[in-house]
Amino acid sequence: MTDVSISDFTYQYPKSETKVLNDLNLTFKHNHFSLLSGPSGSGKSTLLYFIAGLYPRFIGNDATGTIKFGDTNIKEIPRNHVSNHVAMMFQNPNQQFAMDTVIHELTFVLENIQTQPDQMDKIIDHALTFCGIEKLRDRIINTLSGGEKQRVALSCIVAMDAPVIVLDEPFASIDPDSRIDLIHKLKELQEKHGKTIILADHDLGNYQGVIDEFYYLDPQTHHIDLLNQAESQHFFDNFESTQTIDKQLALPPKDDKNSVIELRHFKLAPHDSLLLQLDHFNFYRQKTTLITGANGIGKSTLFNALTKLLPYAGMISYDGKNIKKIKPLNYAKNVTLLFQDAENQFLNVTVKEELDLSFSNRFNQDYTHEQVEQMLTQLGMQGRDEQVVYSLSEGQKKKLQIVEMLIMNPPVLLLDEPFKGLDYKSLRLMTDFLELAKTKYGQTQIIISHQLSGLEDLIDYHAHFENQNLTYQEVI
Amino acid sequence: MNPGMKLLLVVLIALEISFTQSLIVNVILIAISFVYVMVKRMNFKTLFLLIFWPLFPALGLFVSQWLYGSDGIHFAWVLFTRIYAYVFLGATFTLTSSITDLALTLEQDFRLPSKFAYGVLAAFNLMPKIREEVQIIKTSALMRGEVFHVWSPKLYFKAILSSIQWSQNLAEAMTSHGFVEDEPRTHYRVIRITVLDWAMFAFLIIAVQVMLFFIRY
Repeated sequence: MTDVSISDFTYQYPKSETKVLNDLNLTFKHNHFSLLSGPSGSGKSTLLYFIAGLYPRFIGNDATGTIKFGDTNIKEIPRNHVSNHVAMMFQNPNQQFAMDTVIHELTFVLENIQTQPDQMDKIIDHALTFCGIEKLRDRIINTLSGGEKQRVALSCIVAMDAPVIVLDEPFASIDPDSRIDLIHKLKELQEKHGKTIILADHDLGNYQGVIDEFYYLDPQTHHIDLLNQAESQHFFDNFESTQTIDKQLALPPKDDKNSVIELRHFKLAPHDSLLLQLDHFNFYRQKTTLITGANGIGKSTLFNALTKLLPYAGMISYDGKNIKKIKPLNYAKNVTLLFQDAENQFLNVTVKEELDLSFSNRFNQDYTHEQVEQMLTQLGMQGRDEQVVYSLSEGQKKKLQIVEMLIMNPPVLLLDEPFKGLDYKSLRLMTDFLELAKTKYGQTQIIISHQLSGLEDLIDYHAHFENQNLTYQEVI
Repeated sequence: MNPGMKLLLVVLIALEISFTQSLIVNVILIAISFVYVMVKRMNFKTLFLLIFWPLFPALGLFVSQWLYGSDGIHFAWVLFTRIYAYVFLGATFTLTSSITDLALTLEQDFRLPSKFAYGVLAAFNLMPKIREEVQIIKTSALMRGEVFHVWSPKLYFKAILSSIQWSQNLAEAMTSHGFVEDEPRTHYRVIRITVLDWAMFAFLIIAVQVMLFFIRY
């Protein structure tokens, strides 16, 4: 029996007042599929890293309390035996492999756990077959799609054959088909191979009827509660209802008169797998267009093409000009991306340096210093001038990032999940700021967002991404 | 030849020609290396680049030694050929050996700590990602009105921040894949240094000594 029991477990980050995990007492039951949910940034990953034996080693400080596998305290397991108890799958598909090809990675894994060489072929064949990826055996990992990489990650876990499998938001950047397929593979590992599955996800899609237990990490109390049938149902229903806000919208005009970005015979196929094909598509001037669609379907990749970060076939034009013929700096001034990861936007060290950079390099003088000061105060970001940007919380980083890009005030602003990690009040402030940028300064905005509620007033058009196609919808 | 031995051989010969001044030996080394990489089927584009890029430093050295140096045209030619000897000796290793094999032999035969062997290998496999990241940093800077060149310190600051993050993630990933430094591992593919490897190594190193001893021009 390998119950994973956690008792009197408390953790707080160094130099932080709040306890991210506050006096947890719970047991993930043997041979159960447990889902751990809660908002992003609430501490789910931290707990999983402790269970997987990666923390405290890879973090500055230890937690108090104990984690046990069956009767064994994790602290008493020698480091080279941790893999006999638990295996982990990470959120980022790009950073879980040390070797170049799939077969080399699998061999690496088996060598580490000291499998006899004559057994390896059999185990590897089994792991690849189980995950349905025999064909990927000799492929170079860097050339695989996100979904394929996560399948490879799962095959490594199958090869390791640890009784407990923990997964940290493993589907955050993979396509819906891979997601469903992998959830069912995990269920099979639980039911037919006796594994204990602990999976953290804030997206509740596809889990109903699959999971045995539903745990919720409350962001206010920092406790984890096991939900009963009615409570889990409530969470699932609630999640369903946030997938749409039932707002009627106009369709954009059929002609090209008000278009600002035009895509013609456009084809996006990184690593030879087709993501998007559009013969004729426009984004419209001084409008806010919302792009929705499943994870990993190619929304961010489309933004990468629009900002010339990725090659594409066909033509993209801005203001009637082929963007390949516009000089990089000039184009970047006009079509600017608000990166999903706020840190990508930062070039300096302190908050003040960041804001000053935007003021000195901005392309127009629309925002006054007083106006920006007021925006920062409304967001609760005042008086942080000397703070190092990398030490801000995720929400604060996001706020600073949006404000500094508003100061730049480009004619077209692409926003990739701009509201992730923001509380509702800040979100409403942000939509007000964006509304102002649009109506007063004529900005065109294209937003990728899973968060829909609160955006009703800002959105003019809604384009849905599905089946390698992007089509305007009349409803959100 | 075993990639570890090959690397050692190339480094030793390169060191030796740094301290000797034989034009003919340099030319012989270039010729032999050239034939070796051609036999191993190098494509012509790589060959062109191998000849083209070193031309600038090689010509620069040649001209400055010839016109301003005190040792005359012979030494100028020695410097010129030395650059190409380095390049082609290096090519015999880099173009014909796999980095994975090198890591395996360094771990198994040269007793290098496995942490080091696999760390280097993992970093090497991250190269394409690093290239992408640099592109993102540059684009992001353009969007804030800054142009980053290869010599911009901020570009390196951001790149180093990302690498620290990645190295942490990679270390976590390797640990979760059962890797523990200084612990015994089994080996699916055993790479040995054979008698033939030793014989080749000894023969080539002696051949170079003999040439350097007798051919002084």
